[in-house]
Amino acid sequence: MLLPRFEYHEPTTLEDALNLLHELGGNARVLAGGTDLLVKMKRKLEKPSHVISVARVPGMDQIIPRNGHAVTIGAGVTAAELARNELVMDRFTPLAIAAGKLGAPPIRNRASIGGNLANARPAADFPPPCMVLNATLKLKSAKGERDIPVNDFFRGPGETVIEPNELLVSLHIETPPPWSGGSYIKLGARKAMEISMVNVAAMITLQSADGPIVDVRIALGAVAPTPVRALAAEDLLVGAIPSEELFRKAGEIGVGMCSPITDHRGTMEYRCMMIEVLTKRCLTEALARAKAWKP
Amino acid sequence: MKTLIQLTVNGEPVEAAVDANRTLLQFLREDLELTGAKHGCGLGDCGACTVILDGKPVNSCLVLAVQANGRSVLTIEGLAENGKLHPIQQAFVDKGAIQCGFCTPGMILSAKALLDTNTKPTEIEIRTAISGNLCRCTGYQKIVQAIQDAAEAMTGKEGS
Repeated sequence: MLLPRFEYHEPTTLEDALNLLHELGGNARVLAGGTDLLVKMKRKLEKPSHVISVARVPGMDQIIPRNGHAVTIGAGVTAAELARNELVMDRFTPLAIAAGKLGAPPIRNRASIGGNLANARPAADFPPPCMVLNATLKLKSAKGERDIPVNDFFRGPGETVIEPNELLVSLHIETPPPWSGGSYIKLGARKAMEISMVNVAAMITLQSADGPIVDVRIALGAVAPTPVRALAAEDLLVGAIPSEELFRKAGEIGVGMCSPITDHRGTMEYRCMMIEVLTKRCLTEALARAKAWKP
Repeated sequence: MKTLIQLTVNGEPVEAAVDANRTLLQFLREDLELTGAKHGCGLGDCGACTVILDGKPVNSCLVLAVQANGRSVLTIEGLAENGKLHPIQQAFVDKGAIQCGFCTPGMILSAKALLDTNTKPTEIEIRTAISGNLCRCTGYQKIVQAIQDAAEAMTGKEGS
């Protein structure tokens, strides 16, 4: 499969990258790991006349801890890097788990978190973890910058709020409070090189190891045109003492928040059943981690 | 318009002018005539084109040649030293882990990247490491055994 012709740009400063985007705008596409963009270009689904690689823009590939209170993750950080980063595994667990389930090692070594978010596929691995972690995305252009909560970022399949002259440069995530834990479950027909049939991320914060739930977030992927938060299920859980029965009910409510389709990966009915089961299972895993929280 | 790139391929410096839309795989196979990396699906699904870029296995069909500028590439051709097969290659031969051979270069390079960072991998770690490499002769079992044997052979050698 051959790539169409295009002009290649490789800016070495953020300023140059933003100026190029400002100049070329809609005629250009941003290239990070290339595991989505180059596939779409080979399939002739995209034919940009300019490709701007951000691989050599300093800082894009860094994970920067902020004094224990937060972390800033460059949009170019690869899935492989996130999967093996101890801070991410320890405090931002759903993100690390999802990173380790994306594609397979050669894909994970190239695919970036920014690319995965900006591509906005409904079944993508990174959106649900970012949603339950309340990530804020930094978009920059030659004219300025804005911070977008990830929950306001997705508009539809393949569509986000990013303007053609904007670049997603980083994610900012506050460290979850004490007694927090999270998980991510991806359901597919196989363990590698798979696109999710359903995926679920959950974060739970307890008052204490045996206390009630003070905060909880659940996000579901591949079940609607964009990844969705199961807000009604979260409402049920806040203030309650966690139990299997409560998590089962949350799963039931979660199904109501979704509008899955039938396709070659699975039927609508099967997806609905799996949303219920996996929501419960993901909450159970998140709870176990919250109880085992260590300073 | 062509771009001048300089990179290291199998330890040798290489300089070439390439078109922007040329993949690293095309560059290796067609310009350098290193045909060990195979062109399978071309979409990053099969892993037949796996090469090691700066120490990490990647799908060379999804890397632009210009992106490899200044970087170091290892292909299957760079593994044997002085005509002697690398222990992983030898283990694949000894175990019969090769049938048609199309997936083999990618499998061996994925295995090498694993063993470079993990000298005593578990079976699950081995299976995960090669999970991006498809074998259609259904030879996974012998491939996993070959990698286990290679790991033992390589650590044994270091110990002696």
